[in-house]
Amino acid sequence: MMSAPLKFVNHRIEEYAMQVTLDPKTGAGTVVYNLSLIHENDFSQAISVIRDTCRAGIAPSHLLGVKKPGEMIHDYVIPKDRIGLITICSTTLDGLLIRRGIPLNPIGGGVVEIVQNVPRRFTHLIRYDCTTIDPLQVLISEKTTSITKVMNTGSGCVLANIRECHMEAEPVIEEILDELSGSIFSGILELGLPNTPSLGVTVSPQYIGIVTLGGTNQMAAIRESGIEIDIQAIKGIIDIRELDSIETL
Amino acid sequence: MIRTERKYVEILMILKEHQEPMGAKRLSELLAERGYVMTDRAVQYYLRYLDECGFTRKIGNLGRVLTPEGLQETESALVDERIGFVISKLERLAFRSTFDPFTGTGDIAYNLTIVDEDNLEPLLDSFEDVKRAGCGFFNSYRVIYSDYRIPPGNAGIMTVCSITMDGVLQHNGIPVQMAYGGRIMVEEKKPQYFADLIRYQGTTIDPLALFISSGLTSITGYIGTGTGILLANVREIPVYAKKRALEVSESMQSNGFIFPLEMRSGNIYNLVGDPNRISLVSYSGMNYVGHAIENQIPVTNEIGAGNIPFAKISE
Repeated sequence: MMSAPLKFVNHRIEEYAMQVTLDPKTGAGTVVYNLSLIHENDFSQAISVIRDTCRAGIAPSHLLGVKKPGEMIHDYVIPKDRIGLITICSTTLDGLLIRRGIPLNPIGGGVVEIVQNVPRRFTHLIRYDCTTIDPLQVLISEKTTSITKVMNTGSGCVLANIRECHMEAEPVIEEILDELSGSIFSGILELGLPNTPSLGVTVSPQYIGIVTLGGTNQMAAIRESGIEIDIQAIKGIIDIRELDSIETL
Repeated sequence: MIRTERKYVEILMILKEHQEPMGAKRLSELLAERGYVMTDRAVQYYLRYLDECGFTRKIGNLGRVLTPEGLQETESALVDERIGFVISKLERLAFRSTFDPFTGTGDIAYNLTIVDEDNLEPLLDSFEDVKRAGCGFFNSYRVIYSDYRIPPGNAGIMTVCSITMDGVLQHNGIPVQMAYGGRIMVEEKKPQYFADLIRYQGTTIDPLALFISSGLTSITGYIGTGTGILLANVREIPVYAKKRALEVSESMQSNGFIFPLEMRSGNIYNLVGDPNRISLVSYSGMNYVGHAIENQIPVTNEIGAGNIPFAKISE
């Protein structure tokens, strides 16, 4: 019995990013999502943690989807006694960039140290072209994050990812980032300078690094609070209408 | 600016590798060995800066030692360079692995697992399970008590680190690259496909440690039923080295090493491979540790903790 050839995450990102149709101005369209499973009993506590991360600005979006046991999401059925939580994956940004014709390479996912509310540097990184599992999914359990600390003190470590775009496209990139600020999805930590490392990560000649918050920060915060959580990052494509604001839940 | 950061991190790395306090003179010698030529006075200047940052501490006239914050800094700074460091650190141990499989003598590289003495019994039960199931890299291990790395009331267990294999291949004239750490799906004792792989050259944390802490293994399942998910490594060698690699592998097996699981050029299981390279797949020595952690035994573990004579671990 053979399974399909292994796919590295940079290719998975491109495939999903190409399917993003989100229009930041109208807030309609499809986005890439992460799916996480928690026990039914932990639901209300988990929601309050997610709300805290959104208010602290550590989540790239305040939108959340909730699926009850037995409910379907594409071909996946939420198991008994479990709740499925759907968050917007930061791959959605790659989709917006690709759709406007910007040359883009996804670089990797890792951990960014925040000092007094300012992102300082990556302290860990796993390159997307070197892994078949999403880096943030495995880094969450390595106890490399301290999201609760960032919320309380403004300093600590959060999950983030980095891609690079050609500097020729800088005006278009800025246009997209402007459209995103104040929209349902943002989370840009740093837009780098051409030919200059972004938060310590080298970019290709003539490229600019863009660092964003991982869409799994809310989930890492849930895990830090002691709740058992199973995370599947870059899971699929979903219509934004299926998600609700955390403040209404 | 960046070059400066590189130098201060190198000083921290040197202090990390040495237990005793170290002065500016000795540090400048060791820095020169690593390609950083600096006067004693320049080193003094850096050390004062590191003291101010709280990364180093002066011990009378003896020199500086690393503080816990300094140790933390070596694990956080210079992310770009640390991406290659996971494997460079292991390659150093590989080169020092002088084990000769044809005579059964020389040094191997080991992993060191530290456990509270109260948990030693269950830990050894877990290790025995892995040994019986034959899903480690070597079919034995050694318990030690007296070592500066083992805190009082704890015991240390040395298992053979599979980086030893890279050393043996190299010393037999075969250029080898440790390519991936991964997890492999095994059904009825037969490996089926890789569930995930992470390339060593692209990560700041050891892939196998990540798979263990994420709970993505099922070593217990394999031991119980022959079906489960085990930790594995993939190495790459030139196609030209095939005959020699087979000879070396056979002599490794006769010494109790479990190697390789599969070897082939081009595609191997579900990994799309280079037709000009042979991939060698083997179970990792970390299956011992992974199984103990699956059994909820609290341990700390260092992958590639040092080199020791083979005789000390095979007894």
